[in-house]
Amino acid sequence: MYLTKVEERMLGGEFGEAMSVAMKILVKVGEALGASRLIEVSHVHISGVSYSNIGEPGLEYLEKLASTKPKFSAYTTVNPSCVDLSLSSKIVSLEDWEKQAIINGILESMGSRTSYTCTPYLLRRPFMLEHLAWGESSAVAMANSFYGAFTNREGGPLTIAAAIAGRTYMAGLHLMSERRAKYVVKTPPLNNEAEASLLGLYIGERYSEITQITGASEWSHSIVKEFLAASAASGSHALVPLDGVTPRGTYVVEEGVERTTIDRRELEYYYDNVSKALELGEETLVYIGCPHLSLSELRQLSIMFDGRRLKRGVHFLVTVPGTYRAFRDIDRSLKKAGVEVAIGTCPIVSKITVKPDVVLTNSGKALFYLSKLHKFNVSLASLVDIVKLVSEK
Amino acid sequence: MISLRAKTIIEGECCGELFLINRRISFYGEVDPVAGEVRGVEGSFKGKVLAIRGTRGSTVGSYIVYSLKKHGAAPNCIVVEDAEPILIVGCIIAEIPLIKVEDFNELVKAFSLNFRRARLISGEGVLILE
Repeated sequence: MYLTKVEERMLGGEFGEAMSVAMKILVKVGEALGASRLIEVSHVHISGVSYSNIGEPGLEYLEKLASTKPKFSAYTTVNPSCVDLSLSSKIVSLEDWEKQAIINGILESMGSRTSYTCTPYLLRRPFMLEHLAWGESSAVAMANSFYGAFTNREGGPLTIAAAIAGRTYMAGLHLMSERRAKYVVKTPPLNNEAEASLLGLYIGERYSEITQITGASEWSHSIVKEFLAASAASGSHALVPLDGVTPRGTYVVEEGVERTTIDRRELEYYYDNVSKALELGEETLVYIGCPHLSLSELRQLSIMFDGRRLKRGVHFLVTVPGTYRAFRDIDRSLKKAGVEVAIGTCPIVSKITVKPDVVLTNSGKALFYLSKLHKFNVSLASLVDIVKLVSEK
Repeated sequence: MISLRAKTIIEGECCGELFLINRRISFYGEVDPVAGEVRGVEGSFKGKVLAIRGTRGSTVGSYIVYSLKKHGAAPNCIVVEDAEPILIVGCIIAEIPLIKVEDFNELVKAFSLNFRRARLISGEGVLILE
């Protein structure tokens, strides 16, 4: 791989041991993937920071890394951690908060923002054609497919290396030659975010290569977010070009590709395969905020709950970015209704204290992981339908 | 003696008893980082040359490779058919040599014929099985 003079010195150890290890990670992975050089990145998003996920091995590595006191060279945000940062959640377990606090302290000492969110694009909007090094599959899909930025889907330790070096390897989706759609799929109009989730799961499961979606030009940011998170969960999709949404010039559709149409009946049939029917259980957990809610989405939810209260046996969990600690007023009106807003965390990367027999969510990604990891019975429905079912005047 | 063409991905000494698992493994979930054992496979690869087709699964796998080293249960060296980023990163942070052989089927064949000691001659890009 070609390295600049400065990069040679970074690799050689002139800028400390952590920099040298970081460069070695980028060069070796890059060489294995056929990269010809490194490229500077303007925003790194670190994944794999939850103690519930990375455990003692991850913590030990981070502690060793921190002992040499490295600093991040790029603007850096981090994924949700495994505890509610307000330490008040009754649904997300606080069991590992001491361990998580060590991890968060290490990352912040290196210079990460206290973001603790899977929606880094809400904190810093990616520019078109900009090179990023992001972990977190749903955010990667948004960066590539909504904003037209360039990033691969990176693993946890590699994102840390990229943050230290301020660079990543030039391969995969950083190259226009790799951003080529092999399929084009026409989708039916969607009525709500739950249908977007369902469609995302379906596309992710059915197509293993880059697939352009037509019929998406009217989709809102929220709809795109749910769709992409679902397709990234069920099918590891890092780029799903959306005709009319994804900036032109950030991907190409190959000539003579296979074109298909998905009709509503196909989706309805698929729904019965992946989702339980929408109904209350003896103990029900509602989970909203996967990916994390934006401030306006949180406000909409708050308005929906105006004058309403949760029915008995219903836990209602909402997750928002770590940076939303300041917005306690919205939080308070939801609290009155019995809704819990947990900050900077998410049940996919945490332990859960409640034992619901039914989980309701509007997120395809949450459905995918909560049924796979936590073995819950999950039903997919729109936020409006869920609120109607679980609350009363 | 059988010699296989090999490419060094992470440098270092690669010499010892071959421990073959003829498939891809997921370090996260399948490997016990204290014992150096793989679920469903008899024996430990600790201090041996671990030969696997490749890896799959969560990126937490990199940290498990590191953890093996911390617990003194790491293999001497890892030989693969396909080197995925998760494994490469794990081997760098754990300082475990990683070798890619051109023809993994030859290695499997040699192993079944009882050539079970491996030795890398890195200058020549050759892995010797004896």
